[in-house]
Amino acid sequence: MNADPLLEREGSRRKASETPLLRLEGVHKRYAEFEAVAGVDLQVKTGEVVAIIGPSGSGKSTLLRCINQLEPPTAGRVTVGDVSIDAEREPSRRELMQLRRSVGMVFQSFNLFPHLTVLRNISLAQERVMGRSRKQADEVSRQLLARVGLADKADQYPNRCSGGQQQRIAIARALALGPQLMLFDEPTSALDPELGLEVHAVIRELAANGMTMIVVTHEMHFAESVSERVIVMADGRIVEEGTSAQVMRDPTSERAKRFLRAVADR
Amino acid sequence: MTLEIVRSIASGIPWTLAVTLAAFAIGAALGAPLCAMRFSSFTLVRGLAGALTLFLRAIPPLVWLFLIFFGLGFGYLQINPFEAAAVGLGLIAAANMAEIYRGALASIHHGQWEAAFALNLSARHRFLDVIAPQLLRVALPSGASYAIGLLKDTAIASTIGVSEIAFQAYHTSQRTFHSLDVYAIAGLLYILISLPMAWATRWADVRLRARVAR
Repeated sequence: MNADPLLEREGSRRKASETPLLRLEGVHKRYAEFEAVAGVDLQVKTGEVVAIIGPSGSGKSTLLRCINQLEPPTAGRVTVGDVSIDAEREPSRRELMQLRRSVGMVFQSFNLFPHLTVLRNISLAQERVMGRSRKQADEVSRQLLARVGLADKADQYPNRCSGGQQQRIAIARALALGPQLMLFDEPTSALDPELGLEVHAVIRELAANGMTMIVVTHEMHFAESVSERVIVMADGRIVEEGTSAQVMRDPTSERAKRFLRAVADR
Repeated sequence: MTLEIVRSIASGIPWTLAVTLAAFAIGAALGAPLCAMRFSSFTLVRGLAGALTLFLRAIPPLVWLFLIFFGLGFGYLQINPFEAAAVGLGLIAAANMAEIYRGALASIHHGQWEAAFALNLSARHRFLDVIAPQLLRVALPSGASYAIGLLKDTAIASTIGVSEIAFQAYHTSQRTFHSLDVYAIAGLLYILISLPMAWATRWADVRLRARVAR
């Protein structure tokens, strides 16, 4: 990967600081009859990388989407930095903007804008949200494209790029707004394994540069290697939490054991 | 003789085009707020939009034109045949365009909205920069088919005295008694106008699609 013009490189991952960047307190998400997230408490410190694993329908993605209020929680509180949103009361538009400003998100289905070139995809929100000029924004976008190894794709339309390339572009698009926290919602589930690897490489590079991240994934090796902390969710709850090695090799809860056995047998 | 017939029918072309364009412009413009009303968070507004759409589409265009021209035109407001035709067909077009927009909106992947939210774009920019350009591309083929249909519907404006193609054909046939030839020529003129519209649409559609298709 090309030299990184935006972040100073450090030999090893920055040490996680003590104040939590993200705090979830009693977060619930209920749809009519179904409780997707049934009370989650979680703290993530600056510089930490947390992987969330668990069976389908366990609420992992919903939890992630509760953080940036894409799905407003039905109960509980979400705090990112110094912005706190309580489900008890409707957040103001300003609060939502403030919260989302510090949170970047990458989706399973990339969700690039198909009518814009790759460069415009990355520049658009910089201009509209941060007030950068087109020239400034495009310059930042080009640097980010180089960082994800796609400098030559700037003027293409997304549909001319492979899935792996599209996902790397989507990562660049989220990074362009300078988030403090990055959320990855099964970033490689829609990709064949080989293309998944190039996306994993980009995410690893971010981790190595100290980006705070939460990664929802089905890929155990990736979860284990990218994160220092792994969370297992089932039925809307956290059923196991610990260092990657501990959770993967020596889970304590029955539910987590069952899930990890099932994954290992596959 | 034939040339004279062609010339006199063809003199209706500008009016046919004018009614089509005016009605389509009204429909394309008013269709947008009507479509937006159907997504309102107020039940009353949603209901009103639904009722309006039903009301506009359930009454035949001919009856609408009579209602506006003869009904409102006598005593209530000053309206000439062209205006009555443009407004009547335009209102019906609004209801139909609203439905076309609604279908196009539904076809846009919800991930596009989510990405726009996650990037913190404001409501205005979510719509103008992300959704509207895609919506117009999706709506283009059905919108154009509707415009071609509308072109043919303008023939009913002849009944309130707009001197478009059908109107000219009727009067020419009354004058010359060559009814078959006259209406065949009128039919041919409609085909000749529709074809370039259809070609232009296909061309635009292929071009836009090549750039954005997933």
